[in-house]
Amino acid sequence: MKQLAEIMKDIAAQSLSRGEVDLVIGWQKGPLWWQSYPAFIEGNEGNGETGSLTWDSFCVPNLSRYLLEELPERKKVALFVKGCDALGFNQILQDKRAEREKVVLYGIPCTGLVDPDKVESAGLGRGLLEVKRDGDELVFVYDSGEQKAQARDFLYDKCLTCRYPNPVVYDQMLGEAAPVQPEERFESVQELEKMDADERFAYWARQFSRCIRCFACRNACPACSCRECIFDIPEPRWLGKANELSETQFYQIIRAYHVAGRCVDCGECTRVCPVNIPLQELNRKFIKDINELYGEYDAGVDPEQEAPLVTYKTDDPAAFTES
Amino acid sequence: MKKIVKDKLPSLWEQLSSQATLFLPVEQDGVVNFAPWEEGDSVNLEALNTVVPPKNVVFPQTETYMRFKVENDKLHIEPFEQNGPYVLFGARPCDVAGITLLDKVFLQEPEDGLYSRRRREGTVISVACNEPDAACFCTSFELEPGMAPGADIMVWDMGDYLLWKAQSEKGEKLTGSVENLLQEAAEEEQKAAMELKERVTAKEAAAAQEMGWDPSGVKETLKDMFDSDIWEQFFRRCLGCGICTYICPTCHCFDIQDYSKDQEGGRFRCWDSCMFADFTLMGSGENPRPTRKERVRQRFMHKLCYYPSNFGLYACVGCGRCVRKCPVNLDIAQVIKEVGGVKSGSE
Ligand code: SF4
Ligand code: SF4
Ligand code: SF4
Ligand code: SF4
Repeated sequence: MKQLAEIMKDIAAQSLSRGEVDLVIGWQKGPLWWQSYPAFIEGNEGNGETGSLTWDSFCVPNLSRYLLEELPERKKVALFVKGCDALGFNQILQDKRAEREKVVLYGIPCTGLVDPDKVESAGLGRGLLEVKRDGDELVFVYDSGEQKAQARDFLYDKCLTCRYPNPVVYDQMLGEAAPVQPEERFESVQELEKMDADERFAYWARQFSRCIRCFACRNACPACSCRECIFDIPEPRWLGKANELSETQFYQIIRAYHVAGRCVDCGECTRVCPVNIPLQELNRKFIKDINELYGEYDAGVDPEQEAPLVTYKTDDPAAFTES
Repeated sequence: MKKIVKDKLPSLWEQLSSQATLFLPVEQDGVVNFAPWEEGDSVNLEALNTVVPPKNVVFPQTETYMRFKVENDKLHIEPFEQNGPYVLFGARPCDVAGITLLDKVFLQEPEDGLYSRRRREGTVISVACNEPDAACFCTSFELEPGMAPGADIMVWDMGDYLLWKAQSEKGEKLTGSVENLLQEAAEEEQKAAMELKERVTAKEAAAAQEMGWDPSGVKETLKDMFDSDIWEQFFRRCLGCGICTYICPTCHCFDIQDYSKDQEGGRFRCWDSCMFADFTLMGSGENPRPTRKERVRQRFMHKLCYYPSNFGLYACVGCGRCVRKCPVNLDIAQVIKEVGGVKSGSE
């Protein structure tokens, strides 16, 4: 992975100094082992900051979403995209919130990223200095030495079920294609489907009762790209500010419905949620239903493809009225 | 000092909850938060910090304080109170320090009635931290992981038992009410706890030192940095969510809103966040903090410059919550470090 980081630094420095782009979005390393966060490098030469770009097992934040804010201010923006980021980018394109010609995409084949919570629950977090990826293994570095483990045991659930680790859209691919070996992604949805309506209601009521209404799930989502969100409008205030279960359910239902058919299953909403609400289960229920009703559809794979929920067909398989 | 053997904790929960609402760190789906204890709850006293700090107990996220109703064309307004005695058990020393910082805001003249009533009605029991993690940096703010001066009772986890020390009148009173479950602690046991406390503090201070988290001069440096370019490097990655402010034990901005249905409704106050787009949005449509840049600056300036100017202390207790939970690692520890690295006046 070191190698890839070096390629990223060079490529960023080049495109900035040649004036091809006026902003590069990548990742930078923070002081703690799990911290790899979005980095914004601008100006020609990138003010010498391109050297701080990094690629490691924690470069999880989706960079495509930042185009919503950055693109209007810039001539051209380069960003690094993993498989899920590329799907998000295509969705933003399809929703007409970005112009393809204003963006340069450097594709990163992704072998899965490490969930810090899994490291902590395995008791490996104490005194940890660094986590390195070595093929199928992770190397945990401590003052006292190193410890190795199978990488798969520590990857985000969303990475274990990822079907597009290789970017579906890019201008230049940096590296060899990553293996595609997704685990079944609808297992937990099937569990939910087995519940009766009351059980399901109780399940979600319990989950949503923890919601602190921070809106991180919305703000991290590449499909939540409305210029003004209904939940932010102060007048009329559609969503009350009281943290009441009914208000939260209203928020969550609207959020899930609004991304239905556009959710690229990147799992960012679930990752950022501070109270472990399994939002991806809800999104995947929609995905599964869409697949069953309208045929297989993966949002974000092809921005030209007709999106099932917004395409009118006379032979629509769903009835317009209850019969 | 007293002690309580851990086997007796379930009886303690029962006894305490029979005299007051008992808030404990309760685990649900892998998330530990303070909640009113109910039989069968899985109490987790080992988890370092709850996701949401116990400020939620003294300053609830949503608190209705007035009800109104229209009857026969007449408006009836009445105050609404939902209070009562409570015990907050398991707050960490940083959490208690957070409450002390809230006190300075809400208990200054004119006192905030809702807050002061909640503070009066509660007894706070703090559990010392034996193993701060990589995100903790309370010692940088001259706090001790093993001691909460603002708690009514302090307890130390000594393995099979908790050492118990009342530190206030309220604490003495509560101790008296559960005397049947406590034992006198032996001299050596007290000594062992104090040694543990010193050890943990020294270790934590050394770790913070190593990370370069030294806020001491930052409140002065920041006075000249309102227009600094440094905010440029922070704000772009911010998602503008409410995580950092809602989970911070010292954030205290609130909003007042009404709800109503048909002919009746209520007025409540609820947490607000400087990271939201409608924060300080005026009726005219103007907003002095129109973009994420001003909002991110506000968050850190408030904690590290304005609050210290007003009250002499930093509005951060180094609990590490924003370090652990910000989805893009825009945390205060990094800001302190970056800001400290820029000399006063330079931009
Ligand atoms: S709803 Fe969640 S999984 Fe779907 S695109 Fe948005 S962030 Fe990704
Ligand atoms: S991220 Fe989680 S806590 Fe925040 S609003 Fe979304 S569901 Fe609620
Ligand atoms: S700093 Fe982090 S937690 Fe705070 S609003 Fe920005 S993204 Fe959210
Ligand atoms: S700013 Fe961060 S570390 Fe400081 S008290 Fe708030 S949440 Fe804790």
